[in-house]
Amino acid sequence: MKNMLQRENVQIVESVKDWIDAIHVGVQPLIDGGYVEARYIDAIIENTEKFGPYYVLCKDLALLHASSEQGVLKKQLAITILRQPVRFKPDGFDVRLLVTLAASDSESHMQAMQAVSNIFTDEKRIEQLATAKTADDAYTQFIAAANE
Amino acid sequence: MEVKRIMCCCGSGLGSSMLVRMNVEKTLKNLGYTGIDVTHSSVSDATENAADLFVVGKDLEQFVSSLPRVIILDNIMDMTELETKLDAEMKK
Repeated sequence: MKNMLQRENVQIVESVKDWIDAIHVGVQPLIDGGYVEARYIDAIIENTEKFGPYYVLCKDLALLHASSEQGVLKKQLAITILRQPVRFKPDGFDVRLLVTLAASDSESHMQAMQAVSNIFTDEKRIEQLATAKTADDAYTQFIAAANE
Repeated sequence: MEVKRIMCCCGSGLGSSMLVRMNVEKTLKNLGYTGIDVTHSSVSDATENAADLFVVGKDLEQFVSSLPRVIILDNIMDMTELETKLDAEMKK
């Protein structure tokens, strides 16, 4: 799991302008680290315009991703904690956690998704992650959830 | 008709659909159903012969409207909703 989430890809951000800005901010660490090409951002925005924000899975979680062929170089996750929530559609959920997924194929990120599942089916753990004081703390929570 | 193959779908067939697939597998196990093949894919792969039952989130409802047996989830991470709807569908 440690290969799938590097510490430098966990960030805390005060606020974003709107959902498009949220996608830019949420994907940027993966571009900086060479995990995805810049076009991955455009792909997620295009998919959102086509299908709607289906990746907002519950209150507080946007699992941002496009397909492997849309600019993924190496599999990796990024986690962005927003102090001010953002909405991806006017009547949608308030979102404070952006989990950006770069998947290299359809199966190998299973453990990462298990961690997402462990955290986001439990309101207490969502709150704990959303209010993490430091990025180190958030990283530790996520790795622990992956190893359950 | 007996459900033997379940396909969970999302826009890209990677993230949300994999989560739903894991939740479906867990729920089937809890409910005592065995021998069911659960896969995840993109909605563009969701054609009538691809599976006996399809599971998608509410946002993608319009893309699977032509399929005969579909479970639409209001909240993808709500295990209670999934269990209720899946059990009802499996008993049909």
